[in-house]
Amino acid sequence: MPMTGVSLAPEVPHRTWNSVEVDPITLRVIGGALDSMAKEMAQVLYRMAYSSLIRESEDLGAGIFDVYGRELCESDSTPMHCGSIPAYIKGVNRRLAGSYRPGDVILHNHPYHGAAHSPDYGIIIPIFWNDEHIGFAGCTGHVSDIGGNFPGLCMDVVDVWAEGKLMDSMKIYDAGVRNDMLIQHILDNVRTPEQNRGDLEALVSCARIGEKRFVELLETYGLDTVMSASEAWMDYSENMLRSRIRELPNGSYEAPIGYLDDDGKNRGVPLKVAVRVDIEDDEVLIDLTGSNDQVPTAFNVPFEGSVLPVAVSAIRTILLDEETTPEYVPQNDGCFRPVRAYAPEGTIFNPDFPASCFARFSQVNRVFDSINLALAPILPDQAVAGSSSALCAIAYSGVAEDGESYWVYIEINEGSYGGRNGRDGLDAVDALMANTRNNPIEELELNHAMRAERYELRDESPAPGQWRGGIGSVRRWLMMTDTFLGSEADNRSDPPAGVLGGADGVSGSFVRNPGTEREEVLHSKVTQEVVHAGDTLEIRMPSGGGFGDPFKRDPFAVLHDVWDEYLTSEEAARDYGVVVDTERWVVDDAATSALRSRDSQTRNAEN
Amino acid sequence: MRRLGVDVGGTFTDLVLWDDDGTTTVHKTPSTNEDPSVGTMKGISALEVKAEIDLESIDMFFHGTTVATNIVLEHNGDDVGLITTEGFRDLLHIARKKRPLNYSNYQELPWQKWQLVPRRNRRTVPERIDASGAVLTSLDEDAVRQEARLLRERGVAAVAIAFLHAYKNPAHEQRAREIVEEEFPEAFISLSSEVASQYREYERFSTTALNAFVGPKTSNYISKLVDEASAAGVSDDVHLMTSAGGLVTARSARQTPVSLLTSGVVAGLIGGCAIGAASGYPSVITLDVGGTSADVGVAPDGRLRMKHLLDTRIGDYHAMVPMAEVDTIGAGGGSIASIDEGGMFRVGPRSAGAVPGPACFDRGGTEPTSTDAMVVLGWLREKSFLSGTMEVRPQLAEQAVRNHIAEPLGQSTEKAAMGIFTVLAHSMTEAISLHSVRKGYDPRDFSLVAEGGAGPLFAWHIAKQLDIPRIIVPTHPGITSAVGLLATDIRYEVPTTVWTSSDQADIDLLAREVARLTDQAVAQLKGDGIPDEHIDLECSVDCRYVGQGYELRVQAPSGEIDADWVEQVAQAFHEQHGRMYSQRFDDKPVQLVNVRMTGIGMVPQIRLPKIAVGDADSTPAKVATAQTLMWTDDAGSPKWVDTDVYSRELLRAGNVFDGPAIVEQFDSTTVIGIGQRATVDELGHIIIERCAQ
Repeated sequence: MPMTGVSLAPEVPHRTWNSVEVDPITLRVIGGALDSMAKEMAQVLYRMAYSSLIRESEDLGAGIFDVYGRELCESDSTPMHCGSIPAYIKGVNRRLAGSYRPGDVILHNHPYHGAAHSPDYGIIIPIFWNDEHIGFAGCTGHVSDIGGNFPGLCMDVVDVWAEGKLMDSMKIYDAGVRNDMLIQHILDNVRTPEQNRGDLEALVSCARIGEKRFVELLETYGLDTVMSASEAWMDYSENMLRSRIRELPNGSYEAPIGYLDDDGKNRGVPLKVAVRVDIEDDEVLIDLTGSNDQVPTAFNVPFEGSVLPVAVSAIRTILLDEETTPEYVPQNDGCFRPVRAYAPEGTIFNPDFPASCFARFSQVNRVFDSINLALAPILPDQAVAGSSSALCAIAYSGVAEDGESYWVYIEINEGSYGGRNGRDGLDAVDALMANTRNNPIEELELNHAMRAERYELRDESPAPGQWRGGIGSVRRWLMMTDTFLGSEADNRSDPPAGVLGGADGVSGSFVRNPGTEREEVLHSKVTQEVVHAGDTLEIRMPSGGGFGDPFKRDPFAVLHDVWDEYLTSEEAARDYGVVVDTERWVVDDAATSALRSRDSQTRNAEN
Repeated sequence: MRRLGVDVGGTFTDLVLWDDDGTTTVHKTPSTNEDPSVGTMKGISALEVKAEIDLESIDMFFHGTTVATNIVLEHNGDDVGLITTEGFRDLLHIARKKRPLNYSNYQELPWQKWQLVPRRNRRTVPERIDASGAVLTSLDEDAVRQEARLLRERGVAAVAIAFLHAYKNPAHEQRAREIVEEEFPEAFISLSSEVASQYREYERFSTTALNAFVGPKTSNYISKLVDEASAAGVSDDVHLMTSAGGLVTARSARQTPVSLLTSGVVAGLIGGCAIGAASGYPSVITLDVGGTSADVGVAPDGRLRMKHLLDTRIGDYHAMVPMAEVDTIGAGGGSIASIDEGGMFRVGPRSAGAVPGPACFDRGGTEPTSTDAMVVLGWLREKSFLSGTMEVRPQLAEQAVRNHIAEPLGQSTEKAAMGIFTVLAHSMTEAISLHSVRKGYDPRDFSLVAEGGAGPLFAWHIAKQLDIPRIIVPTHPGITSAVGLLATDIRYEVPTTVWTSSDQADIDLLAREVARLTDQAVAQLKGDGIPDEHIDLECSVDCRYVGQGYELRVQAPSGEIDADWVEQVAQAFHEQHGRMYSQRFDDKPVQLVNVRMTGIGMVPQIRLPKIAVGDADSTPAKVATAQTLMWTDDAGSPKWVDTDVYSRELLRAGNVFDGPAIVEQFDSTTVIGIGQRATVDELGHIIIERCAQ
């Protein structure tokens, strides 16, 4: 890889269609059609799917791509998936380019050839028009189990073969003929065959709907017009992003070095995350040089399928924030073009084959967080303080009652955001690259031998700031049966950072049997831990960092935080210089002014 | 028998008085948003004079209101307290923990920014019931009492009570209500096991809190209206339209106002169904276009389809109550056209509203709207608004389109105006195909009912695009919602969660639950004074394949609950799954998740009145010839053509005329395209069909 990095946007050697002028109205109409077909694809997938990660969490992606793998449109599900599909296509092309036939359906999950990670099954269907291969419909979804050493999730595994069964560009339908033997073989090698079977059907239906809708669009407008309009939309998104980048001063912006807890095996050895953002005219390079060497567990990151999508998502989010950008800028290949990423080979972000890279989310989310922190000084109105950058995924599992398969439940615990300029951090929500939903407790208790004892905002007060950090959640499960536990989490040793005078956030934790004699703090990453019937597991998720000087926080907001029991009145006085009258629920203005002016004198004296 | 329908919209309150002898009187009056009952009563008085009747002679009074909807959209409900299970104080705050926007650091989470219940008033008490309904921890009654007192001291107006698994066992919620009633008798109380008795705690709690949030104000409004109507002499109780498309009594609406939230748009769909059925075309797609938005509904054989319970949202909140499937998109007469920073041409969802309004209204609006485009195209004439009582300045429309769109794009003003229309019409086409083709329904089997002031301006083009064979333009397109109020029955839906699968169905459980729901629905109807012979029941089941996460609703057969009943439900589900997702798995067991019983109190159906009969010659109704811009064929570019202009009032049953033509009436204008033929049926509806050129 060149040190100038690579981009997610594929090369286009030559166009197989004629570029034509598309009038603005047709352009608009085709843009709307692309948008709605991607949404429809995702709907079919999550409504039909079996794995709770796909159907409840919406841990999936779907879109339409041209013959070179350029993304024309994507579903609004989770960002991690969508940006990765071009890389899947590249991986599949390397084996199958030139051999596609109408009716092919290809299954792929190879993490060294484009997959985001191996449990994200990708289904790719080549689209034909007048006997010519002109594009792809693709989707991905996280299935419950893919075989390998451990059920659901894995951490302490020797290599990529141990993490699960690899499918490298497998035609499960060849020219319309279903390969039942191959499908059976795949399902025979996973612990949740019935779920995976249903998920596979849902993925295929999703991609087929995409194929059908795109062909319908071609029937109405013809290839030249549809492709020319698609190019115009990609150029539009590209130009919007480039013009935002151009507004930034050229230079290199470094985030404070971040540390991940450990690799899940060598305890107490933190892993370094170094992120530098280089701005040059209208291009951005995310340079990860200086980050840790690759590790001997599953805690590495596939470069193409995971690092590149996060670089793109972070830059797009900061510069074309959907909330504050009046124009609707569709997410497509155009957003990929101005952004490159670089990570030296043999490092945690670009491991050498065959290192396992199953558990990669906490690291890429940390990259997103670091990009925010690196740009906060030059973009105080767009970046946020440190957010809960880890992804806390926990797999609960056991042998099913039928004795022939496993029950596996993977839960993604939400995080929180750091404070923002003018707004407090968001409480208890999926952060940065993650955007999944929780599962209803009332459904889990019905289907699994687990009982919820608590699901609330955590008790510790949020990180002080003029705009305070978001508050993480606390969840406590009571196990009703002996259960295997596997986890990938982080943010224990290095909590979310405060910015511009805001305080650092609060670390997360896993505790078994809290408040009992058997209380035990678990590592953030555990492999096949056994939790016995009657044990409880308490998960506390990190609270985000504060933004700006807490002594400038609106006293009325502090009053509300005390009233809502986020803070004690002592904390209000100590951390914010606000004196709250808890009898009458008002701010004591005089006492507050006195306290705040005394504090500023002390601080001036210190300077 | 006389029936009165009053539909209160954002701008106008529409009234229809219908008599069994076929006489219909309609009236339109401005809505009074401060206190909508003022406008309603004013309208009723005006109608009394217009129709020359005594209010005492009104037998039934049907009402559609957006009071509850506006409270939600404007976030100005009452202070609410929540009493919930210990350990779960923040379920309303965490919600489903998914951000609305993928790519945004600065978004707000609506459920955290505009909290239905602030954390200080979310109070927990020890109690716990498990998934089977068994009590794990009994209710701490003292704790409930203490929290009720605290909430009373804090001055909340409503108390929501929501415990885990209360859909399975409501005993703790019911006991808690008794205690709250003792301590805090003036509170509006809302129970999760009554408002939305189904699993999925966040959605159920949110619905319950929302009910409490809109409860006191909505309840007061309904009481006030009932009192005023009764003081004015209207003898009947007020019946209100729900989001599910049924009517409920004032008593029920006051308890569960959350059920009213989308009633306005649903009334339009039901009105369209009634109009389609009366003209002999029961399968309808309805398109109701107003100033800022368009509502699209699809009703095969006149049946309403219900939304999935995870899609039933109102504004920023989730409301897990039955809602008929109607999609609202931001495209209307006031939608603004613009060129954005990146040079892209956009129309809507921004709207000029009534103020500043379209440029041609000369009320300060300078940006071009869809109305301006149609003025440029010649479809809306200077004197066509409100029968010429409203001044319109075509040169302002032209100027707006030219300056903001045509010149930046380097196009003619006409082409730009056609572009504005095309883009808006396309978004309506997309919405219709989303609910028809993409759900397995073929638009060629439907008729398009054009409603609202602007629906008949768009329908001719949309029908062409989607190959819908026929358009029905009602006699009064602007009051279809009020007609809808008169065209439905009293309906109560009671749901329960059963969780049983078709391969090992618990027949006893199903039979017991169906019997219980039946009793509940019948008791509700009898409480409303519906006689036995007018009571009907409909049962439906939410199903999925065992292991899936999303249900599809299917009709259940009537009759005894046995293995055959389960089999028929499973078969119906396989079919529905095949239609929705183009795949079915007949060998897989089907999970029956929720059973729903709808009790129907049948209201005698209205017959729409007939208009005066004429013959095929429509020339007596022709009032002018205008120049309009029209597509002369499907592929070609638009041309200026001579266009006949008709007056709706002068049209007679049996009149036939070909497009291009325009029909003008008080609050609406209809366009008939080239290659289309209009026929006026005996009810006065204009039926537009494709014809040979």
